[in-house]
Amino acid sequence: MAELEVKSMTETQLRNLRRQRTKEMRLQLTGFGLMIFLTFMAFGMVALDFDPTFIMGVVMLFAFIQVILQFYYFMHMKDQGHDFAKLFMIVGMFFAISFCVTFIYIVWIGSPI
Amino acid sequence: MAEMKYNVPNEQWPEHPETATLEGKNKFVGFWTFLGGETVLFASLFATYLALKDSVPSSDHLLAADLFHLELAFVMTMLLLTSSLTSVYAVYHMRNNNFSKMQLWLAVTVLLGAGFLALEIYEFYEYVHLGHTFRSSAFGSAFYILIGTHGFHVIIGLIWITGLIIRNATRGLSVYTAAKVNTAALYWHFIDVVWVFIFTIVYLLGVI
Repeated sequence: MAELEVKSMTETQLRNLRRQRTKEMRLQLTGFGLMIFLTFMAFGMVALDFDPTFIMGVVMLFAFIQVILQFYYFMHMKDQGHDFAKLFMIVGMFFAISFCVTFIYIVWIGSPI
Repeated sequence: MAEMKYNVPNEQWPEHPETATLEGKNKFVGFWTFLGGETVLFASLFATYLALKDSVPSSDHLLAADLFHLELAFVMTMLLLTSSLTSVYAVYHMRNNNFSKMQLWLAVTVLLGAGFLALEIYEFYEYVHLGHTFRSSAFGSAFYILIGTHGFHVIIGLIWITGLIIRNATRGLSVYTAAKVNTAALYWHFIDVVWVFIFTIVYLLGVI
């Protein structure tokens, strides 16, 4: 394990850091509010029996927005040093979307081979 | 090996305690790799569910639209979404070197997660009574494997976070324990990410 080098912070540095973190927390709370709002909207649209094709597109869009908020704000992906994290998630997402599109196409859309 | 100092004064607490050591950095990259793999695991289960949705052997079997209750799914979603926020609070206090508040928010996360799990067990119990079981149809198998794998992750997360709370209760906060808490929080957020797709694809698109 590497030696831990911690430079002692001054009073001002510490205060600035705390302020920065509080600011970030406010952003995270905004993100949470947005997620709650999107969830309400998604459930509301289904409960009010909107047009199914419209619902399908919109709730999937809402899901992706929620997940991006979750990754960027809650899991701190917007911070520096997350290049590998992004790489792994993008590769994972690529396979995830491929699997789902392939299965839906083979079973529900395409004609039998 | 770096000396693990517990409960250091605020001015000596690093800006990013969770990645202040090499072990912390390794955990961080390693865990994101794992989450990439988990994404693919859940994708295969989602694809299976989408392919087998409403595939039942006879017309007397219940379909997705007959089974799912939006109210229950909504309450479960709110519980898990809120628990995700409380684990954000825990990490916030961890970074601010505030051990007792971190423990408190981790405990709240566990309680909300346990509530979610209780509702999921109740839901499964209801479905089994209605004749929708793991063996009753291909739809049933795909449904229980997908939701069950997610539920299993919730159980693991609850055991993990409870373990951290208990293990760290007497020793406090150090760069070593900070990395552990951060990893558990990432896992918990990922559980919520998967649930966002479950409530959208399985429940919302299931009842329209």
